[in-house]
Amino acid sequence: MSGIELIFGPIILAALLALFFRGENIISKYVSLGLFIYMLSYALSLFAKLPQKGYLQLGTYLPVEKFDFVLTLQVDMLSTIMLTLTALLLILVTLSSWSMKSPSLYFSLLIMFSGAIFGVFMSTNFLWFFIFWELTLVPMYFLVGIWGAERRVYAAVKFFLYTHVASMFILLAFFLIYKESGHFDMTLVKEGVLLSPVLIWWLLFIGFAVKMPIFPFHTWLPDAHVQAPAPISVLLAGVLLKMGAYAMIRMVIIMLPETSQQYAWIILILGLVTMFYAAFMAIYETHLKKMVAYSSISHMGLVVIAISTMSYAGLSAALYEMIGHAFIIAPLFLIAGFFHSKTGSWQMADMGGIMQKAPYISAIFVLAGLGALGLPGTMGFVGELSILLSSVQSFGLWMVVVALGSMFGAGYIIWTLRRVIYGEMSEVVRSTKFSMSMLEFVSLAIFAVFIILFGLFPNLLFEYINPAFAQFELLGGAL
Amino acid sequence: MITAFYILFAFALLSIVLHRSFLLKPFALLGLALSFFYTLSAGHEGIKLFELIVEIVLFAVVLHERDEMSMTQTLFIGASSLLLLESESLLSFIIAFEALSLISVILVSQVKTKEQAEGAVKMFIAGAIATGILFLGLSFYVMGGGILLEPLKTETSSFESIGVFIMLIALFYKLTIVPFHGWAIDTYAKVSHVHGAILSGVAKTVVAIAAFKIFAPFLLQHLQLATPLLVVVALITMTLGNFLALFRENIAQMLSYSSIAHAGYMLLAFAAVQSEYAKDGILYMSIAYIFMQSAAFLVLDILRKTYKVKTLKELSGFSKQSPLLGALFSIQLLSLAGIPLLAGFLGKAVLFYAVVDAGLWWVVLIALLNSALSVAYYAWVIKSIYFDTLEAKEVCCADTSFPLMAQIILVAGTVYFGIFAGMVFGA
Repeated sequence: MSGIELIFGPIILAALLALFFRGENIISKYVSLGLFIYMLSYALSLFAKLPQKGYLQLGTYLPVEKFDFVLTLQVDMLSTIMLTLTALLLILVTLSSWSMKSPSLYFSLLIMFSGAIFGVFMSTNFLWFFIFWELTLVPMYFLVGIWGAERRVYAAVKFFLYTHVASMFILLAFFLIYKESGHFDMTLVKEGVLLSPVLIWWLLFIGFAVKMPIFPFHTWLPDAHVQAPAPISVLLAGVLLKMGAYAMIRMVIIMLPETSQQYAWIILILGLVTMFYAAFMAIYETHLKKMVAYSSISHMGLVVIAISTMSYAGLSAALYEMIGHAFIIAPLFLIAGFFHSKTGSWQMADMGGIMQKAPYISAIFVLAGLGALGLPGTMGFVGELSILLSSVQSFGLWMVVVALGSMFGAGYIIWTLRRVIYGEMSEVVRSTKFSMSMLEFVSLAIFAVFIILFGLFPNLLFEYINPAFAQFELLGGAL
Repeated sequence: MITAFYILFAFALLSIVLHRSFLLKPFALLGLALSFFYTLSAGHEGIKLFELIVEIVLFAVVLHERDEMSMTQTLFIGASSLLLLESESLLSFIIAFEALSLISVILVSQVKTKEQAEGAVKMFIAGAIATGILFLGLSFYVMGGGILLEPLKTETSSFESIGVFIMLIALFYKLTIVPFHGWAIDTYAKVSHVHGAILSGVAKTVVAIAAFKIFAPFLLQHLQLATPLLVVVALITMTLGNFLALFRENIAQMLSYSSIAHAGYMLLAFAAVQSEYAKDGILYMSIAYIFMQSAAFLVLDILRKTYKVKTLKELSGFSKQSPLLGALFSIQLLSLAGIPLLAGFLGKAVLFYAVVDAGLWWVVLIALLNSALSVAYYAWVIKSIYFDTLEAKEVCCADTSFPLMAQIILVAGTVYFGIFAGMVFGA
């Protein structure tokens, strides 16, 4: 199995499903579930094959000598971890969107997305990386635009345009790299040969910053996350944002280390601003899903801070927080969407006292919320602590301000729990029946198990995360 | 190739005999298929590849077409396109160019409505002006000592240079470069959409490729003057085209403006002529464009004739009415917008890389932002097709199986050249 089937296979499969099984409601669900389970097993099987140092070659395809347009598939520990996370999230998203309307089109778009995202994490050729990077937008555009909430069209078009414009900077940077180094392959490009590394750095940084998103390029995210159906919000937060962070680590920090070190303070400050700004927005927010979206941005701010350290400890912490963020934010989005579908409102004021009506679901919401604010024993705690430690190590003691971020996190999470889960039962909640399908609940429970499991035993993850960066020469340490 | 030209020309002449016979369509298709195989036997690299693709696209157009007169003229268009692409000397270029213009005028002159007449007259006048300018430039060139029967000189006297630049202006008319674009919006949008496909898809790309072949050596010698001029004109063209295409209710009008924007992208190849990728860039862009633009206009023809759809509003919820056609149209629009895995992306990528290679990275930044802006109006059409709710509409009884076959041929081209780039680079 070389991996290319898992990129083009799903794309072709998606087209076939959309064309020939349009009326079918069952087949597409099982096909996508089966495909994603296979993808997960494939990603897991890669761990055993990875070499100690360097990349595992999965083959080169469609070579065009003159333009260096070759689909080179290579994976290392970093990309394998991302592949595993993606496949796992896709399975859980499939389970939680089991009762989506017009499932055939929905799941074929999901399958197409899975192919594109595997392409992003597997190809090391810039052009193919960019092709898959952009291709993920198309299914997302349709998924948000067709299945989204009231202002879905606005959100879908804004998301598509905003991120597409950002990608143009990335493409220009790739062109400049090719002109100056003669390579379109990210593993072969050395910063030393580039003539204009600063220009390239800025183009790449802006492009990836939009995807992550880093303040002030975050404005597409609250709209897209809020209007998207809950499972798609999970994919946006759990996979699409991680794509930005992955590219930021791989193509900015690792590929252009010297320029990155020069501008590390900009990344750091933007990370701090992102974290605090989003946390304040989350405190003010009365719209439940928007609150979750801002808390998601705030956590990505933490990841940015960790990335800016450019040290082994910092990047490992960033990767851990990325995984933790995916597992914590997913149940928050799913349950927020569930509450909305039952109560018909997004406003926290209309909710309250849901604990008494739906204790199990509320318990998972509370658990994920506590994870988001960094309660010891959850993934959030380990992530935030390791980021705090690594940034103090790199930038000095004043980085304890990161801990303030957690404090604000506690502010909005606990207040939200008070208004939504506990407190007085509102009229709307009293008259609503909170019943959830078994599959949706199972997927929520799996998220909860992961939050606690990796929170109590973080070494299960660090065992894989630490070697991910060992092969790279990082300049990080102090400014 | 000469054989392929003769075949097409002979079939075009003979097809007049079959006028109003049901045999005309198979006959025209046979002519195109034969010329395709003769061209193929001569190779499939560079210009040859483009000739093959012109024949494929015209095949799809004839397959789609129901009007017999247009089929005959499509064959003539094919023949003169082959002649234009193969021309080496200035004289043969000008003869083929004029032949193509003349046949285009005859093509659009079969008017059925006042609107179509308006488009046809505008095109006729613009074509006449372009011819006049072309001959003005030519006379300068010859007066300066240029020889018609040879390829364009690279080392020119100032008189000859003035002549060549004037000739370039005539080509700008055909390529709809701002400020010579005014006629195109009305012509492309108002004549029959099949003719719109031929004019904006086929004729434009053929002229672009042939002009690049003839004028590139000259431009290479006059970089200092030509590059800034061409860059400015190209940027104005694409920016104006894209901004005017925003918020168009009429889809054909929107595609006409986007056609102007694409002419701006293509002109960048002329500005980046010192890069070795410029040739590949304009070739790839033209290949992508000929597929997606012709396909989009042919879809408009189906929409107008079968579904009585002209505006975005009438397109609401079209995916529920005809899922296949909606999907095919969306794919072509995404390709026009430059979304990857479709030819439009690779065309732009190679073309823009040529410009970066020529050292003009800030030009590419503007061009890329333009391209991203264009997503706004293409995505808006897709939004109408998929996100809006369907309004009840009457559907005419016309058979759409042939047009759908044509669409499938064209979408195959768009997808193939979006993934496999080897053929364009001659690998």
